Amino acid sequence: MSSWSKLLMGSLFIFFLLPVSSFCVNASSDNLVNSSLTEAEDAFASTYEIVLDAERAGANVSGLFVRLNLCAKYLSEAHVWHRLGDSANANHFAGLCYDLVEDLRPEAIELRDEAKKLDDAKNATTTFGSVVAVIVVIVSCFVVWRIFKRRYNRQVLSLRPEVVSDGS
Amino acid sequence: MDLKSYNALFIVATLVLTLVAAYPVIAIVMPFQGDSEQFSEFWLLGPDHIAENYPFNVSADEMYTIFVDLANHMGCSEYYLVNVKFRSITQSIPELANSQPSSLTTLHEFQFVVDAENVWESTVNFGFQDVSIEGDITNVGNVIINGKVFPVDASTRWDFENSGFYFQLFFELWHYDVALKSFRFDNQFVGIWLNMTGS
Repeated sequence: MSSWSKLLMGSLFIFFLLPVSSFCVNASSDNLVNSSLTEAEDAFASTYEIVLDAERAGANVSGLFVRLNLCAKYLSEAHVWHRLGDSANANHFAGLCYDLVEDLRPEAIELRDEAKKLDDAKNATTTFGSVVAVIVVIVSCFVVWRIFKRRYNRQVLSLRPEVVSDGS
Repeated sequence: MDLKSYNALFIVATLVLTLVAAYPVIAIVMPFQGDSEQFSEFWLLGPDHIAENYPFNVSADEMYTIFVDLANHMGCSEYYLVNVKFRSITQSIPELANSQPSSLTTLHEFQFVVDAENVWESTVNFGFQDVSIEGDITNVGNVIINGKVFPVDASTRWDFENSGFYFQLFFELWHYDVALKSFRFDNQFVGIWLNMTGS
């Protein structure tokens, strides 16, 4: 085979390989965006659930909401850019969201745990107080009933039947 | 009154007082939900920040402003998603009877978290590109929303009844369902009708 025919064969091979390799690169970049979007979405959702738990336990989460909303904004941007086919921007915003959410998560966990501890302590105190109150109510009512019953019986027993004289 | 009647009275009084004393624990185990309705309020405002003067007669290469607002009355914070869609008069709208969102592709979106009893608002600047009118059909090539250009393929025929080429820009409300671990269509959407007047 002459060097010219080798060159021609090589060129043809590269010519046919290019579209395939471009397709592979596009597919892998799309996979990368999809995975970074999923990662950011999952991280955001789990942090939101932690913040929600903290809120339900009575923590003040307004400070976390400001930052959480910034993450949500980045996540929306990532989705929009992905829809527009701009992988670089989609990746960039998904990464920003993920990093910010990961920064936020330990703080949210700490806040939730503290709030839960306080809530548990408050519930324990309430339960203890309530149980004591129930016992006091039952014992007091029982004692009052005993006293009342004794007095009632005494009163009834002290009543003497009226002697009615027979006039005949 | 005999002793038996007094006994019954004491038992009832004891039970009532016991319930009062146990109320705090009952409230922890079975929290009172209240009878207030839980819902999300969703609306659009015109460029003057009032529910008037919404853009109606629109043309290509002009920008218009509206505001999308949401108030959270769900009793706790909620994570929302608003999908922005654009349709011609013949394309699909959400089927509220079946809780189905529109099958059209989402253009822009907003994700946000709203505290209980708080309001969220976002500005929506929109415009149109590549608008062509051929006979009694108008075709819109691109919709610009907040600076981003979204290719659409929406065309509509001249509406003889209302004299115009009608399109709708609408916003679907979704909220994050913690149990499902995904967004669920909230069965609400708001939109504005637009009459494309020229290219």
